[in-house]
Amino acid sequence: MISFLIYHFTHRTVAHCAVMLQAIKKVVPVVHCCLSCLLLVCVLGGCAQQDEFERDQVGNFEALWTIMDEHYSFFDYKQVDWNEVHSRYRALVSNEMTDRELFDVCGDMLKELRDGHTNLIASHDVSRYWVWEQWPVNYNERLIDQHYLNFDYKRASGIKYQILPDNFGYMYYGSFSSVIGEGNLDLILSYLSTADGLIIDVRDNGGGYLTNVETLVSRFIGEKTLAGYICHKTGKGHNDLSEPYAYYFEPTKNHIHYLKPVVVLASRGSFSATNNFVSIMKSLGQVTIVGDTTGGGCGLPFTSELPNGWRVRFSSCPIMDAQGRLTEFGVAPDVRVDMDEDDHTHDAILDTAIGILARATAPPRLPRRGNSAPPHHSDN
Amino acid sequence: MKKLNIICFISHAVARSIMLLTVLMALPLGAAAQDDVLVVTPTRSMFTLDIGYASIHDSYLTPITYDGIDLELAYEASRLCKQGHWQWQLNVGADYNYVENPAKNNDLQKVMGNLSFAMQHRWANAVGGKVSLSVGPMTQLRAGIVYNAVNSNNPVTVRAHWNVGAAANADFFTRLGRKPITLRYRLQLPMVGAFFAPEYDESYYEIYLGNHRNLAHLGWWGNRFDMTHYLGAEVRLGGTIVSLGYRTRFEHWHVNNLKVHDVTHAVVIGIGADLITSHH
Repeated sequence: MISFLIYHFTHRTVAHCAVMLQAIKKVVPVVHCCLSCLLLVCVLGGCAQQDEFERDQVGNFEALWTIMDEHYSFFDYKQVDWNEVHSRYRALVSNEMTDRELFDVCGDMLKELRDGHTNLIASHDVSRYWVWEQWPVNYNERLIDQHYLNFDYKRASGIKYQILPDNFGYMYYGSFSSVIGEGNLDLILSYLSTADGLIIDVRDNGGGYLTNVETLVSRFIGEKTLAGYICHKTGKGHNDLSEPYAYYFEPTKNHIHYLKPVVVLASRGSFSATNNFVSIMKSLGQVTIVGDTTGGGCGLPFTSELPNGWRVRFSSCPIMDAQGRLTEFGVAPDVRVDMDEDDHTHDAILDTAIGILARATAPPRLPRRGNSAPPHHSDN
Repeated sequence: MKKLNIICFISHAVARSIMLLTVLMALPLGAAAQDDVLVVTPTRSMFTLDIGYASIHDSYLTPITYDGIDLELAYEASRLCKQGHWQWQLNVGADYNYVENPAKNNDLQKVMGNLSFAMQHRWANAVGGKVSLSVGPMTQLRAGIVYNAVNSNNPVTVRAHWNVGAAANADFFTRLGRKPITLRYRLQLPMVGAFFAPEYDESYYEIYLGNHRNLAHLGWWGNRFDMTHYLGAEVRLGGTIVSLGYRTRFEHWHVNNLKVHDVTHAVVIGIGADLITSHH
């Protein structure tokens, strides 16, 4: 019985193998042809391999330097000799250093660019060159809340607003990352429409989305307005930049606009998108900029990464103001004022803005008749 | 035995669904004329699922090559034309790639839609009746996005291609044991077309502002190369066709100093039927 089973099993298996071999023989030319095509794919795939850096410390340093060399847009504007920077910092790098040591060297190298938009981002730290850390803050939220708003204010879309006792509207917008809803803005401007003038406070606003700049600016223009110019890197060379492209903002249709006198309050902490907002508002006739020079940051940042997973952010697309000037180092105010750090009840910048609006909205004086004596006091 | 019955039931249900769908699509053709001779034309209708490996390199988003998984769902249909010398072939699908960087601390996600149509001349019964060959022109539209969540102003890039090229099929009819089996090789080879690419470091914000210069490009083998190969086997289980195969897609382009280099390798599982529709 057992021998019969063994015979039967062997016989069937051999028969099956023979049939399969016959089938395989027939298939071989077709399979050969197909595999040849697939081999071609692999060869072509191999030909198109990218230039990648080693994942060791030196490789990561070289990757960082190369990414900046090929993508950063302000080398010539800032007169930075990037090759010289490479030779200086390359001497400090070896494969034996720890990640933290490498990070510090790379972070220091990036600081040579003096750019608040340039950061090296690792799991343990973020390198930065934040210019506003070196200047007076010129903003005290608590002081305004307590002594000007009496803790009585409205808040919508990240905007704090109220009408001050002098009948001037006040808006504080702390981050352009807070999305402004058109409906919210209608309600805010509707509430402030009875005010004789408006103060827009963007001090200590570190930026955010440029689309919010357009949303806000569009409420303060009466016609299509040149906002500025934008360009971008077109290749790996330091001067491979596109022709500046003029871009315009238009008044938002079917929404509330505010065309009375406006004062924008700025500080060194007004960076990136806020810097862009101030530069555009400065070009409008009814707007006065008061406070300190903005923090700059006119390069739209891109992000790239190193083989070890660290990310690097850098200025890539320069944005110019309506006069075609770069504002990388900030927008100067029309009226320069600093807060007195020892005065905890008055905001000198806000007081200056109120004074400017008071003068701008005061009724014109009638010409005097005769030689009457001058008044003893002025209402200025 | 019970399991086999369930499998048969499911496969017949799927086949019936596909058949109903295709018959409904083909109904106006069949109802067009009444007096001519009835010609029976089978329509090959298949749903396929690709599961495999993907490698993505897109220098607009990152200089690092990411790799991970490839998933694709597709519907394929093909049918002989009246005289039997030509056949059309339609492919509709969507693929999704989830890939990670070598440091495993970031990912990219790619979603693409794919539509292609080919008209092929067919040589049936070539090589002693064992092989069927078909070759012809093809047009293809592929569009989608690649998304990198951690990038600042370059978090996403749009991919959009329209191509014309060639598509070829080679079917080899044989048996594995007593079971008839079809070995199929399929090639899609786009040759020229148009595709979208931003400039080197151009932000999509600038495009949104209205700068549309230099975004559309003529694609040809000098700046863009793309091909898809499929190799698989098909068997019939009753009225249902089941296929198992391997597909690889290779896509490379370089323009505006940007480079894209994507490769996928996937196992393909398919289920479908030869659906009988008629026309006069």
